[in-house]
Amino acid sequence: MKSFQIAVCIGIAVCCYSASQAQGFLKKMKEKAESVANKVVDKKVDDAVNEKTGGNNNSGNNNGSPNSGPGGGNAPKYGKPSNKGGQGLVNTAPDVKENLNSAETAFKGTSYGEARYNIQQAMLGVELQIGQNILKSLPKTVAGINVDTAQDQVTSTGWGWAGLTIQRVYVTGEKQFTLTIANNALWMQAVNMYLANGGYQQSTGGQQNWKQTKVKGYRAVIEYNESSGYKLSIPLGQTSLLMFEGINFASEQEMMSAANQIDIDGIKTSLGEK
Amino acid sequence: MKKIYFILIASFTFITVSAQQDFAKHLGEARTAYAAGKLDDSRFAMQQALQELDILIGKEVIKVLPTKMLDENARIERDNVTGASGFFGVLIHREYGIDVKKLPADSIYSKTVSLEIISNSPLIGTLNALLSLPFMGNNPDQKIIKVSGYKALVQKVSGDDEKKEFELQLPLTNALVTLKAPGHTQDELIKMANTLPIGEIAKLIQ
Repeated sequence: MKSFQIAVCIGIAVCCYSASQAQGFLKKMKEKAESVANKVVDKKVDDAVNEKTGGNNNSGNNNGSPNSGPGGGNAPKYGKPSNKGGQGLVNTAPDVKENLNSAETAFKGTSYGEARYNIQQAMLGVELQIGQNILKSLPKTVAGINVDTAQDQVTSTGWGWAGLTIQRVYVTGEKQFTLTIANNALWMQAVNMYLANGGYQQSTGGQQNWKQTKVKGYRAVIEYNESSGYKLSIPLGQTSLLMFEGINFASEQEMMSAANQIDIDGIKTSLGEK
Repeated sequence: MKKIYFILIASFTFITVSAQQDFAKHLGEARTAYAAGKLDDSRFAMQQALQELDILIGKEVIKVLPTKMLDENARIERDNVTGASGFFGVLIHREYGIDVKKLPADSIYSKTVSLEIISNSPLIGTLNALLSLPFMGNNPDQKIIKVSGYKALVQKVSGDDEKKEFELQLPLTNALVTLKAPGHTQDELIKMANTLPIGEIAKLIQ
């Protein structure tokens, strides 16, 4: 009797296993069939489209449409072809000496507008050099995060209110430290006055996300945002602002020690700030 | 009267020559500082040179402005060129008509026509965008006209139906020409604007 019960149990177990196996097998079969069917349909559609547009191997397209251009076999029927490459622009900063000479010549010829343009170009050249010099002076790693020189940026607008902007990014994995310097912007005076004032504190629901602090003796403001991380703003002199942004930094202390690795005095001197 | 004109012309010439000398001085400073690697000092000297140039350009613009608009004579003693280049812009100012102080005490409206040109101001760009909007100029108090081929906005700035006051604004890339003519009709204002050598002004300030 006991052996009969064991046999029945084994039989039931085998049946269940077989059923589940069969279901898995059927599912795989279905997926395979769908995949094959899709491939066939896709191929048919591609063939039909190529036949209509003269793309791929068809050479009958001589109507001068965008598709007939080099590499235009798979390009859309309408619209311009997409760029497939090129060497880009040659990195050329305005020649300061040459522009100053041109400005002088234009000025002597009473072409004041031309002289103005040349002076502006010379200013752009000098500002770009200031930016590059500062980037060179920055460390290769900060808080164990490596520099990504491909993201180095020096931007000069030539307008007094926007001025010169320098940016350096350090990134390793998910951790990022960004340094931004805004210089010679007239509106910075107001920002600096506000930030260096020291008369503002913020606390919401017991969580302080904005507070005054000091970095290497400079008054600063540190902020924290759940999605963007830490931000440290340091006004420098009359018209410059140094800003550090830290993503995925563990604590305020870690952010502060990263900021302390930057030679703020050196940056200030390079910018001509007192 | 002749003496006054002579003094004005002499002082104008003196200021222009002085500005030219200052430009040369700042240019020299920029060169020296750049050669010595003092980039920020060089940049500062260039900014100063730029400022001098803007003042000179402003004075050149004043020279090409008409000396009379309709029946209103220019009051050249009130000509002025001032401002901060690259920020608010350089302001070129000229007035036409009767001196407000000489008007009768019971006069409600000033007849002084004022022309202001703000050059090299990055803040001006927005007006250009406004002028290109199709819904602008769809009412009698605001319309878009053309002066020497340039689009301009004429709008009522104050006054009731009988005594409206209009002004004309004409943007030139980073410059703005504003003509105000209180006590004059919209048509008179447009006539006055058409006496301005906009093409020449544009050439000088751009």
